[in-house]
Amino acid sequence: MTNNNKKGRNRKESPSDMVNLMGNVEQKDDLTYNRRAFLKSAAGVSIALGLSTVPFSVRAMMGMAEDENERVEIAHMDQLPKGESLTFNYPTDNDPALLVHTMSGELVAYNSACTHLMCPVFYKKETDTLLCPCHKGYFDVNNGHPLEGPPQRELPMIHLEVDANTIYAVGRSYRHE
Amino acid sequence: MSKKKCWIIIFITIALNVVMVQWTVESYLGREYEKVLIFSAIGVVGAFIAFFAYLNWRKREYTQSSKD
Ligand code: FES
Repeated sequence: MTNNNKKGRNRKESPSDMVNLMGNVEQKDDLTYNRRAFLKSAAGVSIALGLSTVPFSVRAMMGMAEDENERVEIAHMDQLPKGESLTFNYPTDNDPALLVHTMSGELVAYNSACTHLMCPVFYKKETDTLLCPCHKGYFDVNNGHPLEGPPQRELPMIHLEVDANTIYAVGRSYRHE
Repeated sequence: MSKKKCWIIIFITIALNVVMVQWTVESYLGREYEKVLIFSAIGVVGAFIAFFAYLNWRKREYTQSSKD
């Protein structure tokens, strides 16, 4: 096939068919995108993935050094009749939490940042569940585990102690049954 | 170790490390810090294995091609 019969984009400068036969071999691409380059990138991806876990372990080591089991007064029993809830902060001022006196008469407390995208969770008296309004996430009020909606992890559970009508937060389990 | 084995090892480490990144993040968010350390240690070991497999492949690939 001579150059003239070809479509414009396939036409090469050379009038010689032998040269034009090679026209589809782009030497530059051949040097850049080849088997070797592919393996190099693959190895690079693997190394980058492996090393990207390191910042997490550094943060984890910093986190393990923290000790957070303080006893903090939250409320008095008479402030909190059945079906009511109140907010507080535990273990630090940056951790919003929710204390609930459930319809069945139990006292439970959880950190109230939703485990989906951190919206605050509310106690819904009518259904006796914890509700996150942002994307309709529901949590079981008895154990903080997600029931419905996008959240995948349970809410951190705050351990309580009642002493002479005063409710104290005494610790927290981040993952629990 | 043949070149083919290096390829296989590198691809296995990619799969391994993808899983390790996922598990590390997951346990970091759950504040299961011991698990974070374990998974991330495995991830780093995977990265080293990939690196040495790559070095080995490079040695074979380029010495061979300079011979022929
Ligand atoms: S933030 Fe709670 S459901 Fe999305």
